[in-house]
Amino acid sequence: MRALAVLIFASAVFAQAPQYGELVNKYCVSCHSEKLKTAGLVLEKQDPAQATANARVWEKVIRKVRTGSMPPQGMPHPDAAALNAFATYLETSLDQAAEAKLNPGRTLIHRLNRTEYANAIKDVLALDVDVSSLLPPDDSADGFDNIAQVLTISPALLERYLSASAKVSALAVGDASIGPIANTYRPRPDLSQDKHVDGLPIGTVGGMVIKHNFPLDGEYSFEPKMSRSILGIVHGLEDPHALEVTIDGQRVRLAHFGGLDEDTKSHIEATKIANEIDARFAFRIPVKAGPHTIGVAFLQPSVAQTAEVWQQYQRTAIDSNETKGAPHLDKVNITGPFEAKGPGDTPSRRRIFSCRPATGADALPCARKILGELAKRAYRRPVNDNDMEDLLAFYQRGRNNKGTFDQGIEMALRRLLSGPEFVFRLENDPANVAANTAYRISDLELASRLSFFLWSTVPDDTLYNTATQGKLKDAAMDEQVRRMLSDSRSDALVENFAAQWLQLRNLRGVVPDPDVFPDFDDNLRQSMIRETELLFQNMMRQDRPVGELLTADYTFLDERMAKHYGIPNITGSRFRKVMLPADSRRGLLGQASILTLTSVAIRTSPVARGKWVLTNLIGTPPPPPPPNVPALKEAKGGARASMRDRMTEHRANPFCANCHKIMDPIGFSLENFDAVGRWRVKDGEAKIDAADTLFDGSKVDGAAGMRDFLSAKKEVFVQTFTEKLMTYALGRAIDYYDMPAVRKIVRDAAKNDYKFSSVVTGIIHSTPFQMRLKAAPANESASLLGAPVAASAR
Amino acid sequence: MFITQKHLPRRTFLRGAAGVAIGLPLLESMIPALKAAATKPQLRTAFIYTPHGVILDKWVPKEVGAAYEITPILKPIENFRDRFTIFSNLRENSGRQAGSGHASSSATWLSGDITKDTAGEDVRAGTTIDQMIAKKIGQDTPIPSLELGIEDVSNMIGVCDGTSSCAYLNTMSWSTPTTPLPAEINPRIIFERMFGDGSSAAARFARLQDDRSLLDSVTRAASKLQKEVSAADRTRMNDYLENLREIERRIAQVEKHNQQAVGAVPDSPVGIPENYEDHVGLMFDLQAVAFQADITRVSTFMMSRELNSRTYPQIGVPDQHHSVSHHQYDPVQQEKHQKINTYHVKLFGKFLEKLQNTKDGEGSLLDHSMILYGSGMGDGNVHSHDPISVLLAGGVAGQHTGGRHLKIATGGKTTPIANLLLNLLEFSGIPADSIGDSTGKISL
Repeated sequence: MRALAVLIFASAVFAQAPQYGELVNKYCVSCHSEKLKTAGLVLEKQDPAQATANARVWEKVIRKVRTGSMPPQGMPHPDAAALNAFATYLETSLDQAAEAKLNPGRTLIHRLNRTEYANAIKDVLALDVDVSSLLPPDDSADGFDNIAQVLTISPALLERYLSASAKVSALAVGDASIGPIANTYRPRPDLSQDKHVDGLPIGTVGGMVIKHNFPLDGEYSFEPKMSRSILGIVHGLEDPHALEVTIDGQRVRLAHFGGLDEDTKSHIEATKIANEIDARFAFRIPVKAGPHTIGVAFLQPSVAQTAEVWQQYQRTAIDSNETKGAPHLDKVNITGPFEAKGPGDTPSRRRIFSCRPATGADALPCARKILGELAKRAYRRPVNDNDMEDLLAFYQRGRNNKGTFDQGIEMALRRLLSGPEFVFRLENDPANVAANTAYRISDLELASRLSFFLWSTVPDDTLYNTATQGKLKDAAMDEQVRRMLSDSRSDALVENFAAQWLQLRNLRGVVPDPDVFPDFDDNLRQSMIRETELLFQNMMRQDRPVGELLTADYTFLDERMAKHYGIPNITGSRFRKVMLPADSRRGLLGQASILTLTSVAIRTSPVARGKWVLTNLIGTPPPPPPPNVPALKEAKGGARASMRDRMTEHRANPFCANCHKIMDPIGFSLENFDAVGRWRVKDGEAKIDAADTLFDGSKVDGAAGMRDFLSAKKEVFVQTFTEKLMTYALGRAIDYYDMPAVRKIVRDAAKNDYKFSSVVTGIIHSTPFQMRLKAAPANESASLLGAPVAASAR
Repeated sequence: MFITQKHLPRRTFLRGAAGVAIGLPLLESMIPALKAAATKPQLRTAFIYTPHGVILDKWVPKEVGAAYEITPILKPIENFRDRFTIFSNLRENSGRQAGSGHASSSATWLSGDITKDTAGEDVRAGTTIDQMIAKKIGQDTPIPSLELGIEDVSNMIGVCDGTSSCAYLNTMSWSTPTTPLPAEINPRIIFERMFGDGSSAAARFARLQDDRSLLDSVTRAASKLQKEVSAADRTRMNDYLENLREIERRIAQVEKHNQQAVGAVPDSPVGIPENYEDHVGLMFDLQAVAFQADITRVSTFMMSRELNSRTYPQIGVPDQHHSVSHHQYDPVQQEKHQKINTYHVKLFGKFLEKLQNTKDGEGSLLDHSMILYGSGMGDGNVHSHDPISVLLAGGVAGQHTGGRHLKIATGGKTTPIANLLLNLLEFSGIPADSIGDSTGKISL
């Protein structure tokens, strides 16, 4: 029945094919002619009736028509119904052709990125590692750092894999030869330390929480150090303070400093007093091996103290010359082990040593059992004789060199962690499939795709077993997806997908000018990031429609964010759901994180905001600026001109106007938010004018208007979201031949109100996720995979 | 939260945890016996980069030729006046290129090429001359080239500069137009690459043996996989295998080197020093040691990265370098930028001094070195790549004497820096007719 309906519908649109040729000639070809080649696109002599012959070109057309950006404003337009029918016609013919000949594309061999490597080590060995000290950072592409194409291999990287394998194996088994290691932990220098930090005892302010892995049972030294002014004076000495150190919540040290006497002396012998204070905090105690949580914080001073008087701004560390105000923890050194007493009982040893050889004869079978279990999980597949032979050879090497059973296992772990079986995600083409043909990947390969997509790590036992039993399809697969999404490991989608899609990670590098924004500090930066992460996490966990990211009338705030937004009666460092009174604050466009990362140090950037919206919400990134554009002239002398006045240059010059008339109005609609996302009605002396005409002729006024504009184009947003999530899920750029699959996901999700799970499930059921194109023999394969749509559409 | 990790040799603790020495000693005894017999001096090449441009009229002397008056920024290396040449009136090709100005400045400084303006997987710049030189002479040493930096770039994802990928800012060394080589910032890791992992000579030796047999096994597994994977993936497996063989070669070289070394390898550095000056100093020391012990003959070092927000309170500039470079021609801001320029030159001077004081065959390391110092920008305020100025230091194994300021005018216009790169290639024994936008060698 359904097939029939599609057929009738299809023939109806096909009957009209000739008139679309006229439409293209009449409205498109004047610019996209062979002569002008506007934006590198030629539609002259292209026949929409033969769209399938040139899908790459027509997918570009669909994108521009669907977003309303073509034909451009000021040029002759067909009516909306005709344009819509045209786009539908193109989509239908391309979708049908795609169905007839599946092209799931190919992702290259995928190397684990740093995050995945660390997560896999946690899941295989029950060990938390600081991966940034082990491996060099990965390059990213298409907005994500898990894109197979750029996860390249260099000699320097391989050297680091070798050396990481040694460090991780030694930590995991608790190698007795591990010598003292000094670790330095520092809060960011712009962290204000006069407020309670989440995770530290109630009644403390400032300081930091440290999750530290202690490699062996033994003694460790702790050295918290106070921040000093340029002259070497410890901050905040005029009042008495106390610093507390806790291990897993138990106080292990309390030391006092400051007060009149010390304050006076420190102005005479600054360094001597500062060293004395640091020495007072230092101590050395026995600690059991394994992960522990160290808290270092100041006891909350009484309100009457003078610190408040000196504090004009939220940011306490505003002036490094000022010695008054709150004290600041500069860093904590944790060094050890000294006088190590053995490997102790750690989660990683419990995970690894599933047996212990009682006699010499037991050793080999036990090693075989241990390594077999670890390798199965690390390699994400059954372990074969070759694998076992390799691992046991290194077990023997370790035993021969160093003697003990544990050291044999440690050496075998080095092999396991440095080999291609672990660091690559391998998918093999079956022999019985013809070249350039789509085939369904194996259940185990699918299990890996699922776990790296939803969890950024290796499959767990349940998923692995479902796959090896051949059940990873249909309802059983959906059941696994539901289970995985409700598992806390799916927070990886927040940290890795959302934080990269929305560019939240870049906020770490954003430093608004302290002269202009003296309240901005790391606390605010962290809270901004958290607010947006929680909005996304809520959408995911509550399975809300993805469009709610744009329209939510609630958000998640702690005291600092609430103050920033001018919302009263929210106290403390805990985030909670808050209903938003102001209409303009709703959704992503009202979030300080996004508004700050799209600003420059001293002012907003309507261009950057426009570009961010176009790229991340509408899916039509603007082309790069042309060469040799001089910087925007900052207002000269006297009263500052309004942002709009300064940007008139963009529209005056027709060369610039082409793109800026698309970007700038979007940015202007958000001008009521300053460069750190606070509400304002004036910019300097100029009153904000947030009304403008958008690229499709819509008139918007302010953030609320912009939001309504976007939510009216819900399919465009959902499609962009789907493309981004699919890029991340596949680890490759979305190409024109993926677009039929993307549209199908969006169409199907519409039936479920575009709920988050419906998009995720749609991706997982899609052809590109379930299947793979068998590679052609060497030399032919290169031509098969073209340039990505997104890149070529720029 | 920032975490830095340092491995401390036990001996350090006997000395007391506080007194960790930071500088590396000179390795008088380490020079391999073989090398002492070498007659022809080997050329060492270093490229040292300072970001955000310089205040040009405080860098470029007013007079040309030998009788120029030293400028304020170059004052700290006045002692070496006879050992360097100032080249002014140059331009960088990237001025013609789309996108914002920082990404291309360092990425094309050594190629005269342009960067493709992209944040996608299709990054593209030119092959840089350090890599051309490394390709020619690098195989004779354990490490073909060192790429060094100071700033941790692991937080930088995606777009860093306008619409350009962070990859362009993170290194100035490209082994092919699509392969940026990541710059390493941790002295400890560089040391381990140079001498092997482990805190004592015996531990390092054992570790090298283990590494070799791991590589054998991993290479076997990879070769097997290479036969199984599809044709499309085979290229990547080939890369992988090639890189594995490269590491094997290096390990063999390091082993050989350590055996030939007369006397002990110094204690390894403990990690990333907390203060900038120590960190930069140590990176220069490592290059000097690597040159001296002939572990590598080519290095690139970004004393700081384009678009970084480092502050310099130690020289009275508590403002961020990038902000200061956009000085809007405000004299106060310009002076701050100049102070940072001068400070970088001062730190660079210590490197020259170290090379000068290190014997190498019949002369000093400085005699046998070719060192390019400067920025890919001129006026940082407007991201100008035209004009720019650089200086060439060292004797270049008898091919260069300094003491001059050369203003390179071509028909009243500026000259591509690529022309100078051609000269440097020629000094390195690599004949080339053109690179990037070059129009021909500079006549010296």
